[in-house]
Amino acid sequence: MSAQRRSKLMPAAEAIAGIQDGAKVIAGGVHFSNTPLALVRELIRRGVRDLEIIPTPATGLWVDMLLAAGAVRKLWVSYIGMEFMGLAHNFRRAVEAGTVEIVDVDEPTIFLGLRAAAGGLPFVAMPPIHKLTDLPKVSPQVYRDIVDPFTGRTVIATPPLAPDWAFIHVAKADVNGNGVSLGGRHMEDVIAKASKHVILSAEEIVDPSVITAAPTHTTVPGVLVEAVVHTPYGAYPGTCPGVYSYDRAHLEEYSEYAKDDRTAAYLERYVYGSLGDRVLLDAAGPERLAALELK
Amino acid sequence: MTNAYSIAELMATAIAREMRDDDFAAIGTASEIPLCGIRLAQKTHAPNMWFIYGGCGALNSKNPKLVEMAADFRNLTGAEYRAPLADLIDFEFTGRFSVLCFGGMQIDQYGNVNITNIGDYAHPKVRGPGSIGLPFMGSVKRTVLYVQHHHARLFVPKVDFISGPGFVQDPDLEQYRSPWAKGTSAVITPLAVLDFETPDRRMRLRSIHPGQTVESVQAATGFELVVDGGTVPVTAIPTADQLKIIREEIDTTGVLQRLIA
Repeated sequence: MSAQRRSKLMPAAEAIAGIQDGAKVIAGGVHFSNTPLALVRELIRRGVRDLEIIPTPATGLWVDMLLAAGAVRKLWVSYIGMEFMGLAHNFRRAVEAGTVEIVDVDEPTIFLGLRAAAGGLPFVAMPPIHKLTDLPKVSPQVYRDIVDPFTGRTVIATPPLAPDWAFIHVAKADVNGNGVSLGGRHMEDVIAKASKHVILSAEEIVDPSVITAAPTHTTVPGVLVEAVVHTPYGAYPGTCPGVYSYDRAHLEEYSEYAKDDRTAAYLERYVYGSLGDRVLLDAAGPERLAALELK
Repeated sequence: MTNAYSIAELMATAIAREMRDDDFAAIGTASEIPLCGIRLAQKTHAPNMWFIYGGCGALNSKNPKLVEMAADFRNLTGAEYRAPLADLIDFEFTGRFSVLCFGGMQIDQYGNVNITNIGDYAHPKVRGPGSIGLPFMGSVKRTVLYVQHHHARLFVPKVDFISGPGFVQDPDLEQYRSPWAKGTSAVITPLAVLDFETPDRRMRLRSIHPGQTVESVQAATGFELVVDGGTVPVTAIPTADQLKIIREEIDTTGVLQRLIA
């Protein structure tokens, strides 16, 4: 009999216990798809402060909630919005009021910054297209002119982005930290390699034999993962590809609260409290949740 | 099947006409209209073109429903590949994407696009979502802009923030544009089709949609549009065949019939 591997499965509260005030945090997902909202809600319950948020290039809801919870000091921005729901109201208000430090960037700057951190590259050199935009004027610390040593041409250098903590949501994971996204890989592997600590949340914990039966389906390898949390509806009210669709009615409800600057009441109602996500999922009810199921 | 069409369907057919058989296109958030236009082009004059639906990463999505969420994994229906974000960025920098479709909060007379802030940057009146992929207007072969509104707060003389570059007026900056990047070929709005086919690359009124006049489009625009000669042609309306393809194969739930009031 061979030695046993240590299980990485643990409750959400235990997985995020090490996140300190001021930590750099990233959460995976695109817009409302595969965003690890259960872990974000747990982080809000923790009451962590002064976070530096490095979002994926196109997202919004989780950042908007953390801003409303007063947890954010600094925010990198490529696209913070609510996609088809319109603007992210807490984000909009915070920037307009100047209560959060903003670093305006774009999609390649975030992706390639993570890529640099993932591979230990000192920086990334990009074609100088950003010089045609206003980004270098407002974010000079991110866009530096350098001379390409091979051609003598002016190009742009951008620094590595290395989050302390990454949250990644998947449909299936095993206790060894191997994750499977049924929507395919977007950039989770790069996020995982760029980050010091990776927490995987999963709809379903599967036997390791499910992973080893189809290793080409694994989208996040367990070697990069520190903790696995079982979170049914962990991307709710967003969608988990291949498992359930998004709850448009709840997203509209959130947007109403946010628009009226009453997100604190939303968090009080659905997030805070000792029952965790139970209150949120009970409010939706089994019928509504069943109707979201993706066949 | 009636020949009554919606403005969004007319815009989709206008976008289809911008697509070529050798194109490789990309679209992103809030893309029901360009998605429909591209798929109509594939089903008519451009069967060999390819497109990626950002968010879900679908290469040649054949979802028979136009859905509101770009990242919806159901857009992978009938697709040939799931592109990770790295592929999109590579294709955007290298100009392998021949055409990107974008919208914005402000567009100016030289085609600069702003989706970052209205008013002063440090103290914005409206903070928008951010630049996302718009800087790639400087590195893809061409851009097609589309907006669901046409008014003077959107079409402004000068944008408050350049998220995506148009035809910049500083010759020193031109060297930073990728050599294959030819800029915006058309701007599709609910009132008109516009372009930059002018000596100084100012926006030109190419065609007006049925029911509009040069004066009505000009009145909804915050700068003077270039008008060639005496008359401006009327934008071609969707044909019965185009409407049949749109409604029976692409937009089977009628999203474009309701999208623009």
